[in-house]
Amino acid sequence: MGPRTKALVAAGSGITVGLAGLALSSLPAGADDDPELPAVGAEELVASTLAARAPAFAGVAELQNELGLPAVPGGEALDFETVRVFHDGEESARVQVERQASELTFVKNADEAWAYDSQERTATALTWDEDDKAAARGHAEAEMADPSQAAAEMIEQLRPTSDISVDGTASVAGRAAYELVLTPKPSEKTLLREITVAIDEETRVPLRFDVFANGTSDPVLSLGFVELELGAQDADLFEFTPPDGATVETTEADDAVRALEDAEDAGDVGQRATTVGTGWDTVVIGEAPAGGSGEGSGADAGARGQDLDGILQQIGTPVTGEFGSGTYVRTAVGGAVVTEDGRIAAGAVPRQVLVDALDADDADRQ
Amino acid sequence: MTTPHPAATRGPATAPGPGVPAELPARRRAPLGRLLRAEVRWIFRRPRTLAVLALLAALPVITGVAVDLTLDGGGAPVDTGPPGAGPGASDGGPPIFVTMAASAFVLPLGSLMTLLMLLLPLTVAMASGDALAGEQSHGTLRGWLLAPVSRGRLLLVKAAGVLVVALVASGLVVTSGMVTGLVLTGTDGLVSMSGTELSMADVLGRLGLAVAWATLYLMAVGAVALAISAFTEHPMVVVVSVLGGLIVSVVLMQISALDWLHPFLLPSSLTSLVDLIRDPVSFDGLAEGAFRAGCYLVIGMSLAYARITTKAG
Repeated sequence: MGPRTKALVAAGSGITVGLAGLALSSLPAGADDDPELPAVGAEELVASTLAARAPAFAGVAELQNELGLPAVPGGEALDFETVRVFHDGEESARVQVERQASELTFVKNADEAWAYDSQERTATALTWDEDDKAAARGHAEAEMADPSQAAAEMIEQLRPTSDISVDGTASVAGRAAYELVLTPKPSEKTLLREITVAIDEETRVPLRFDVFANGTSDPVLSLGFVELELGAQDADLFEFTPPDGATVETTEADDAVRALEDAEDAGDVGQRATTVGTGWDTVVIGEAPAGGSGEGSGADAGARGQDLDGILQQIGTPVTGEFGSGTYVRTAVGGAVVTEDGRIAAGAVPRQVLVDALDADDADRQ
Repeated sequence: MTTPHPAATRGPATAPGPGVPAELPARRRAPLGRLLRAEVRWIFRRPRTLAVLALLAALPVITGVAVDLTLDGGGAPVDTGPPGAGPGASDGGPPIFVTMAASAFVLPLGSLMTLLMLLLPLTVAMASGDALAGEQSHGTLRGWLLAPVSRGRLLLVKAAGVLVVALVASGLVVTSGMVTGLVLTGTDGLVSMSGTELSMADVLGRLGLAVAWATLYLMAVGAVALAISAFTEHPMVVVVSVLGGLIVSVVLMQISALDWLHPFLLPSSLTSLVDLIRDPVSFDGLAEGAFRAGCYLVIGMSLAYARITTKAG
């Protein structure tokens, strides 16, 4: 082999190997065929899912968010891509919401729950006494961006107002799963088309959920595991000690239950939120986030408030009703009305339903 | 650079003078170790290498002091970007350094990540450009090509020289950052992004891993640079094409319609360095980045090899 041939062979094989490697690493994981599973009834699947206990596992979940939320302060709640979830199979869980340069860590064990924000350097503890145990635990759990919990919660909430069916199977994070489809009943006034939940065949733990809006073929919101490994987890993962220098806040379950409940339902809408309606056409009414995510000085908050008004005028349309007047903003899955007296009504519903909900809220107050 | 290369002048004692046919049987193979020492000595004698290394050592100190002053003055964590700029912008806004005040070892990793964007690749590209193209343009590569050193070994020595530069440069950034971090915040605050306290040994292990990973990443850049370097005699072309390629990659990474292309782009591995600050560390991203760097390394080195073995002496 002359030097020239040798050079050609070296270059050719090197490039081939390198490009093949790059192509290999770009292949999406879990592109397997749909597995074949024994048929199961929808009701049976739902019941077993709601009764299922998460086994001990470590998983990585990814969020795809095409909600088209307008760029307003406070919209960071869904601004992440990866979540790592650890369960010990009992009461403890650890959820790490990974943002590009910061992290939200939730640690929950039998006695307490912690939330740590590396960007703000705040650690929030939630403790409870025996009486509130059940309620507090539920809420500490609901705060977590864990697909298995979020999807189960969603099924429970939407079950009464949905037509439920099983639509084939799927392979999620390398595991065989049933696809459960929740479709709103015709009486529901929602802009959503359906929600599909992939439920693990073996453990009956939800592995992924996708939210579809009317008129789109791709999910507008998708949260699901890309990796899942069953097995016992290190006990240290479920203990949390706030680091030196962090701001520590402690909340008793009594005070926290309402706030957590509201914050969970409302996303980031506000601290004191109420809901109008049930199921798919639930409208959440809260206070507008005047100060962004809540920190910062008064002047800062004022400046943000002005900015928010400016943005709203650009992206929204004016709306009036018995409640007064406000601005309507449409997103991929629904909309929100920001009123002039600083309330926000949001839901996956048409505009008129939001207005009606605000009117109803006014009536309640008087 | 007007002085001839040591390998060409006083390098292997048996180096045939110009004019002696290259195909003379090698009487004595020059020991690889000595060639490597000569190459490394030569690299670190260049003022530009020393200048860029000094800059690399200084930048973490400057960043650390600047962030420290900002945080002390403001009393609160740095603002999360301009309001209304949207979720995406607020993520890009506050750099990783905001966490620094809480943790000394965020500074070395943050500095490494930032500098891996351009300045460290520039350093490596410069070394690679000098290694082949630079010597070609000064006529000193001829000595190498005529010396009783096989072309493969020549490339090996040159690549090893680049490797030393990559290792020294990233080690310097991390060391300088760590020392600055320890001076500014003390040893108590070795806190991971997940809020757990880490032991000094754990932190040093993570930093060692970061340096190794960064060296591999830089070697991937260096291999491509060596390939370009073998094809040209202008070191400037090497530096410009490597930096141009990196900048184009970063631009392409911003276009979400091209997300199928992103796994092919070298800089898309960079964000996974942040995973070293999380606890427990997730190695998926780092392993993927290392694999991607390995692919680039294979492509670059095979091209450089093909070119250098067919180069006319």
